[in-house]
Amino acid sequence: MAISGAKANHYDAIVIGGGHNGLVTAVYLGKAGLRTVVLERRETLGGAARTSEIAPGARVPTLAHTVGRLRPSVVRDLDLKRHGLSLVGPEVRAFAPGADGRAVVLWGDAAQTAEGLRARSATDADRYPAFDRLVRSLAGFLGDIAAQTPPEIESPGLGDALAGLKLGRTFRGLGRDDARTITRVLPMAVADFVAEWFESDGLQAAIAWRGVQYTAMGPWSAGTTAVMLGDSAGNDGGVAGQTVFARGGPGAFIAALEGAAREAGVEIRTGADVVSIASRDGRATGVVLAGGEELTARAVVAGIDPKQALTRLADPVAIGPSLLWRAGNIRTPGTVAKVNLVLAGTPVFPAADGDPRLLRGRILIAPGIEAMERAHDAAKYGRPSDNPIMEATIPSLADPSLVAGAAPGTQVMSVIVQSAPNHLREGTWEDAREPFGDLVVRTLDGYAPGLAELVTVRQVVTPVDLERDYGLTGGHPMHGEHGLDQFFLWRPLLGHARYRLALEGLYLAGAGAHPGGGITGQNGQNAAREIAADLGRRRR
Amino acid sequence: GAAVTEELFPGFRFSVFSYVVSLLRPEVIRDLQLPRHGLDILPLDGTFTPLPKGSGPKGNGPRGKGPAAGGGDYLWRVNDHGRTIRELRRWSASDAEAYEEYGQLMVEMARFIKPILAITPPDITSLDPRPFLPLAGLARRFQHLPQRQQAVFVQLMTMSASEFLDQWFETDPLKATMAASGIIGTYQGVKSPGTAYVLLHHYMGEIDGAFRAWGIPKGGTGGVSNAIASAARALGAVIRTNAAVANVIVKGGRAIGVALESGEEIHADSILSSLDARRTFLGLVEPGTLEPSFEDEVRRFKFRGSSGKVNLAVDRLPDFSCLPGAGEHLRGAISFSPSIGDMETAYDDAKYGHFSRKPYIDMIIPTLVDPTLAPPGKHVISCFVQYAPYKLAPGLGTWDDQREAFGDAVVDRIAEFAPKFRDSILFRDVQTPLDIERTTGLTEGNIFQGELSLEQLFFNRPVPGYARFRTPLRDLWLCGSSTHPGGGIMGANGRIAALEVLRARGRKVA
Repeated sequence: MAISGAKANHYDAIVIGGGHNGLVTAVYLGKAGLRTVVLERRETLGGAARTSEIAPGARVPTLAHTVGRLRPSVVRDLDLKRHGLSLVGPEVRAFAPGADGRAVVLWGDAAQTAEGLRARSATDADRYPAFDRLVRSLAGFLGDIAAQTPPEIESPGLGDALAGLKLGRTFRGLGRDDARTITRVLPMAVADFVAEWFESDGLQAAIAWRGVQYTAMGPWSAGTTAVMLGDSAGNDGGVAGQTVFARGGPGAFIAALEGAAREAGVEIRTGADVVSIASRDGRATGVVLAGGEELTARAVVAGIDPKQALTRLADPVAIGPSLLWRAGNIRTPGTVAKVNLVLAGTPVFPAADGDPRLLRGRILIAPGIEAMERAHDAAKYGRPSDNPIMEATIPSLADPSLVAGAAPGTQVMSVIVQSAPNHLREGTWEDAREPFGDLVVRTLDGYAPGLAELVTVRQVVTPVDLERDYGLTGGHPMHGEHGLDQFFLWRPLLGHARYRLALEGLYLAGAGAHPGGGITGQNGQNAAREIAADLGRRRR
Repeated sequence: GAAVTEELFPGFRFSVFSYVVSLLRPEVIRDLQLPRHGLDILPLDGTFTPLPKGSGPKGNGPRGKGPAAGGGDYLWRVNDHGRTIRELRRWSASDAEAYEEYGQLMVEMARFIKPILAITPPDITSLDPRPFLPLAGLARRFQHLPQRQQAVFVQLMTMSASEFLDQWFETDPLKATMAASGIIGTYQGVKSPGTAYVLLHHYMGEIDGAFRAWGIPKGGTGGVSNAIASAARALGAVIRTNAAVANVIVKGGRAIGVALESGEEIHADSILSSLDARRTFLGLVEPGTLEPSFEDEVRRFKFRGSSGKVNLAVDRLPDFSCLPGAGEHLRGAISFSPSIGDMETAYDDAKYGHFSRKPYIDMIIPTLVDPTLAPPGKHVISCFVQYAPYKLAPGLGTWDDQREAFGDAVVDRIAEFAPKFRDSILFRDVQTPLDIERTTGLTEGNIFQGELSLEQLFFNRPVPGYARFRTPLRDLWLCGSSTHPGGGIMGANGRIAALEVLRARGRKVA
């Protein structure tokens, strides 16, 4: 149904993209009494947070598979529990089988993890709790930073001075030793960081994993420690990291957000493909849809990645050559693929020693720092690694509702595979898709003999699919590399880190903004705060 | 130290380790009146990058003539800007255009960052505002930079050399040769984050005005040391060689002197160590004197030497297939860096404990600018080589087992571009990281007294909280490359350290 009349098409805020951050922003704005519409190109909401039925009665997290970094304040503010969000957190966080048939197991409880490590190395076992304390302290600091809007540096006002002081206080809060430590370790290679503490390669790799996941870097790349600590920020996991599932998969989380949005009076339109952002005199005025329909608003909010917003949707003349050049250089080297499996039964990992609890968390295939670096080498030269490193989950173990409609014993497995470069030096992903799927299953089978025979359905999502189907530039799930060069004050671009993007009235709420990607809702919460403040100011 | 000239082979004198003067601070040259004490720096003109057979301009530039038929191409940049631009146009019109803009931008950046080289880093956890004032000034100047320059500055501090250059250029040999400067002395690759910063150093020279900051000292790099020594003596300093220090004498929590290996004791009000942090604190100071936590921090300071040196005596000049004959192209730096891929693969070898099978080589033929170094008609050739990781993979044994294999890899790499090169060699001296450590005392053969990686710069160098040249031991100071602003023949570290000592002793600072 076509809406007619200027009034009907005028909003306080238009949110481009119905990913989780776009929705979070919209709900906050709706709750603030602002007339808000969310425009989603696809028929379904959620972007990278989705659940899809890939076999009758078997539902699997399409891309992201855990939601453990979701900010409690977002869940609270938006009343997501009442709207149906239910979280499941297994006690085991990560299970990392090694090539030697032994496994490193990271539990939510540091003491329990330490005990498990003792057989492998007494030194590591003794050091683990102290390292966990350090990581929680440093990550806590980053968590506080994540909740703040990066300070204005061009022309600081009083508010920014206060923000600066707040920042300083947060920093002092670390105490002298941790404060010195964080300035030293943030730019470090995560391999060096963990090597300062632990001798066991398997343990080092299990921890370093979160420093390279979703990036185009290896554990020996500078700045991967910041990625690891950033991932710990705002989750309760410490060194072990988070492992929390939304009952019903990430899609259920989105459904809860949608419910909250509708209750807040937010209009949601799917199949609404924004082709350009309209602007006049350096001010964003609205958007134009594929059908030619025009919507106007006081605030245009990009939930999509900033590179797209600036280089594809915005008017190049309004953006100007210098900023356009910078936007075009935002690094989005996608190196992540996704393989989803339906299994006729629960796979058996000998390294788990028959302990059923171990498979309920994240299963890490990252058998050593060098193995991780070598996997990265392959991607660096434009080919998927023959020995891919990956993070798998079997969410149906903790959440049987995912396979309620399938044959008894059915399980679903969700595998996030690193070192799968978006740009292949030879061939195309269309040709590489199935061989890559075979490789992943074969690799898993190496750790869980017989797994390959259990596979009844397989879905391979390549980086090219991520770019084409999900609108992720370069197929980068984080809307921009988590590198030191795209961090805090300069994420996505220096001078545009305060959720205001290039044009007056244009905002960025997605993972491309501070504090970066992952299902946190933090970007949306921060953006909404700034937008509401601006619109409030300009209320007449 | 590492700036010495030695006659390794009768009639041939070599700058055995350090081979060019890059960043010698103008204020140091001025204050110490080094030219009066015999410092004479001969300019090196340009960088010549030979390329393998079949290579040629990609990009959208017209195929130029110049390279010998079938001999492969080359990329040759010289100080004459116009000539360089014409050469680049041969490869890519857009690169030639970008090169101008890029050059200006880098000069701006260098001008902005230069004061950092003279700052004593503050302790970021200190509540005393005074040490922060120089930074505040820098911050104010930062705010006044155009936003694009601010952004580029941030990129320089955080990005990889390769990705940084991708933003301007498409010509692979150009990017590879420029990026090479980003990995000198580091255990990083051109694609490793944090390697972009060093690109700036090449432009620091340009803004130091008339004095040529890039070149080779007459008589080899020993010439620099001799000039400085002469200046020191003129000011009444006593210099004693063959005086190995055994340990620092500590009394009541203060350093009061040193004991030589001969047993002789020398007492002083201030003791400055120009050795690296590890050798100073773990080698010269009695164990147990320093806080264990501090000793741990010192142990954490990373060295990981990654470079080697091959010194050659030859009876004729190298003859490159891509540009045969002895020409001007041999008078500057000759960079064996045909592509980013080659550079990165060289690093991959090193990551896993093998020296690069096809190493990056920075070759200089000093005898072309300073004939006194070799008999008439003959030449010395200096090859700085990367990578040569200090810690070899277990399978390879020690550097004593690999020294010659490494030397062969270097000569073979050169011979790929200059086929008859092998026959011209009269003498070969291979310096592995282990040799560098043994001879000069540089821990793990790191030429910068500690990696110049992001986490070991400025207020973290060498140890967070102790970047102000002071040490936990009263009256013991650091003044070597382990301190801010790091390595290279700069003189900056020694200068700032000296000023700090003078300040601490209430002397008027010159």
